[in-house]
Amino acid sequence: MTYFLKRFAHMVFVLWAVATILFFMFRTMPGTPLAAFIDNTTTAEQQDALIRQFGLDKSLGEQYWLFLTNALQGDLGQSFFFKKPVVEVVMEVFPNSVILTLTSLIVAYLFGIVAGAYLAWRRGSWVEGFGIPLVLTTRAAPEFWLGMVLLAFFSFYLGWFPSGGANSSGSEWTSDWQRVTSLDYMSHLALPAITLAIYLQGLPLLLMRSNMLNVLQEEFITMARMKGLSTWTIVIRHAARNALLPVATAFALGIGGAVGGNVVVETVFSWPGIGRLLVNAVAASDYPLAQGAFLMITAVLVIMNFIADVSYHFLDPRVRFATR
Amino acid sequence: MLMNSKRLLKVAFTVAATSTLLAGSLPVAAESGDAIRKLTLISRAQAANPQQFQAAELIAQAWRKLGLDIEVQGMPRPQQSDAVWYNRDTWDLTMWQMAGRPERSDPDELIYNLFHSTTVEKGYNFVGYVNPEYDKIAEQQRVTANRDDRKVLIDQLQDIINEDQVYAFLVHPLQTFAFDKTVWDASTTVVQPGLGIKNFWTFSNIAPLGEQKDMILNSSDELKAINPFYISGATDSWITELIWDRMMRIGPTGLAEPWAAKSVEWADDAKSVTVTLRDGMMWHDGAPVTTDDVVFSFTAPVKFAPMYKPFVEGIANIEVLDAATVRFDLTEPNAAFETSTLAKLNLVPKHVWEPRLIALGEGESAESIREDTRIGSGPFKFNRWVTQQEVVLDTNKDHWAAPKMDRWILRIVLNVEATLGMLRTAELNFLSDYTGDPKLLIEAADSDGDLDVVESVDIGFQYLAFNLRRPPFDDAAFRRSLSAAINRELIRKAAYNGFAVTANSVVSPALSFWHKAGIEKELPTGMDLAKTILSDAGYVVEDGKLHYPAGKTEQFNE
Repeated sequence: MTYFLKRFAHMVFVLWAVATILFFMFRTMPGTPLAAFIDNTTTAEQQDALIRQFGLDKSLGEQYWLFLTNALQGDLGQSFFFKKPVVEVVMEVFPNSVILTLTSLIVAYLFGIVAGAYLAWRRGSWVEGFGIPLVLTTRAAPEFWLGMVLLAFFSFYLGWFPSGGANSSGSEWTSDWQRVTSLDYMSHLALPAITLAIYLQGLPLLLMRSNMLNVLQEEFITMARMKGLSTWTIVIRHAARNALLPVATAFALGIGGAVGGNVVVETVFSWPGIGRLLVNAVAASDYPLAQGAFLMITAVLVIMNFIADVSYHFLDPRVRFATR
Repeated sequence: MLMNSKRLLKVAFTVAATSTLLAGSLPVAAESGDAIRKLTLISRAQAANPQQFQAAELIAQAWRKLGLDIEVQGMPRPQQSDAVWYNRDTWDLTMWQMAGRPERSDPDELIYNLFHSTTVEKGYNFVGYVNPEYDKIAEQQRVTANRDDRKVLIDQLQDIINEDQVYAFLVHPLQTFAFDKTVWDASTTVVQPGLGIKNFWTFSNIAPLGEQKDMILNSSDELKAINPFYISGATDSWITELIWDRMMRIGPTGLAEPWAAKSVEWADDAKSVTVTLRDGMMWHDGAPVTTDDVVFSFTAPVKFAPMYKPFVEGIANIEVLDAATVRFDLTEPNAAFETSTLAKLNLVPKHVWEPRLIALGEGESAESIREDTRIGSGPFKFNRWVTQQEVVLDTNKDHWAAPKMDRWILRIVLNVEATLGMLRTAELNFLSDYTGDPKLLIEAADSDGDLDVVESVDIGFQYLAFNLRRPPFDDAAFRRSLSAAINRELIRKAAYNGFAVTANSVVSPALSFWHKAGIEKELPTGMDLAKTILSDAGYVVEDGKLHYPAGKTEQFNE
């Protein structure tokens, strides 16, 4: 129990530290948030009004205190740009980011685990000689390039998939749920998700492969062979299960990392997501929105980390015993 | 230290030379002042605006041949604004642009605000140009109601700007738009000078040919607001002018025409104008448009809409004469009133907006209000705005000028390269925002066969701004020489791929009435000429470095 409490306190501390760093980082950045607002007609009084409106006339300490107390109550402030609550702005696109990330991660990890295990088993064969360079190449290919190639081929040449946005233009939906479960949404999701999956599959694949190579040299595998178990049973039931743990951690962390890191894919496919929102907010010095979006990404990352740690506790007896 | 002693020596030498001259001995060869410091030319980053950055590089190359040390520095827009707009004393040179907008069809907005001395400190005149003669004529053209008389003054102002080379004008880009001619009847598009086919008149006139009656267009801007009292960027103005009517609109000729007004009649002294509202106008919520709404629309901005305030400040009083007529009394005659006020302000329903404005807190304005439903009286009704994705407008079938399309759908597409493909796969049928290479677009149209590409000269322009507060840019001869050294034809061809016309005026040739014909030719150019102008003004090249004329030291407030 104390382990969970400690772990939980640790998580809260990290969130606080990140929030604090974010707060001061944005305020020490060069440039004023007003720069994004000036049209050529903005007058001095208007600028002063803007400063008051944004609360920038208060002292830094005061601003920080307001920010923390409000954040605790789930109020991340008002976006300078969109003129509405940050939480509302972020939540409009957050589901899209989560769906894109989860879909591509699941595809990438399923493929990576199976292919990684297979490549380890076929070590030294022509399959490995061909497979590893291919994986490394796709892993190294820039996302935007990959995205453009897929767009040009599957969308513009074959016409199989739409090329931008999350829904067809002008389409009407009764609910968000209906929208994201529609065929229309999935066909829009296909290309960005595949692009991201191709980009992401390298890590689980290589991780799985190297873990497998270690596991396959263990004595219990030799034992299994001696027992006359089938190849399938040895690879899947015995070796893969043991090689999977680090991959599971990578998956959990991958969710947090990828939720905010999809800006390239989001831009290429005009996918509405949190990465685009974040880039815009930073470029425009929209402090509340940038802070809010970063904070939410951090929260996802930290919570996923927490879940990974806790699940380890259950999945792997070695961790459980070590903490005693 | 070394610089200082060199400078001391030079000063000593100059003093000695002058005294010997005074003493009547032999004349000495022209002496030089300080070497001109290293100059930084600010531009948008290469990735964000490749044309501008390349133009900056070409200019820097030419100027280095004059003996200047020039560094081109690319930066994002907010940072550039910060460096140039907010720290007016500290920059030297910057690439800049003025965008074309319907209300800039009248030359007043640019010609007055950009160069009048009242806007030096905080306003448009960020280069710090102060010329009392210019001020006087710029004020005079505002109160000259006769168009031909006013044209003479506008020509004079263009001449002064050319003479002083306040800016080094570069080009007016050509705007390229395209649409699917199997979806839309090409003969129903309307070209507006300076704006091309992407304009209010096309949207309200264009006729569908077949089943597809939704217009699907694109913007690469992440939209920030749709607010009748606030324009946050280029794209929202396309939307607001469709939802909200105006008393007048800038017509396809570039002049203001009555729109929501049945008639607009000026008094003889040009100090008051009587406007009669059309019969039977309705807000999108079914309420009638009244003269109260008109008065509200032109008075609310004074207190609540900072962006629109400058355009209603010239109104002394608004008098309701009867159920459909109001009279605007102006503080002084204003030739640009129709364009800058009657055709600019949105008509806003009082019953919707007044309660909101009253509820505003201290320091807040109408800009901070975000509506869920947007009620105007225009030819299109607001349907929805999905963040980062699309804006959908329905046509207002009850409008007196009801559009022929069914819906107007603006898609946010960040990937410029993808827009061409989308146009060909019919995911778009009107390309309204294309910043890529126009050649690619024309090639795509040729191979597709269904696309019509329309080009037109922009009202806006690209230019290089000198900071006139800082030497050597306080010297008109120096600016003239630098401007003469710029090869605009090369910039037009290399940086803009030929899709631009060279510029030497703040008034675009697209505005054929106001543009001073042939002013491009009144700026002779060439490297030799540039060097001659410099040496005539006393600038000297020493060891390959350009120096100020004799006796001039580099002193200014940092």
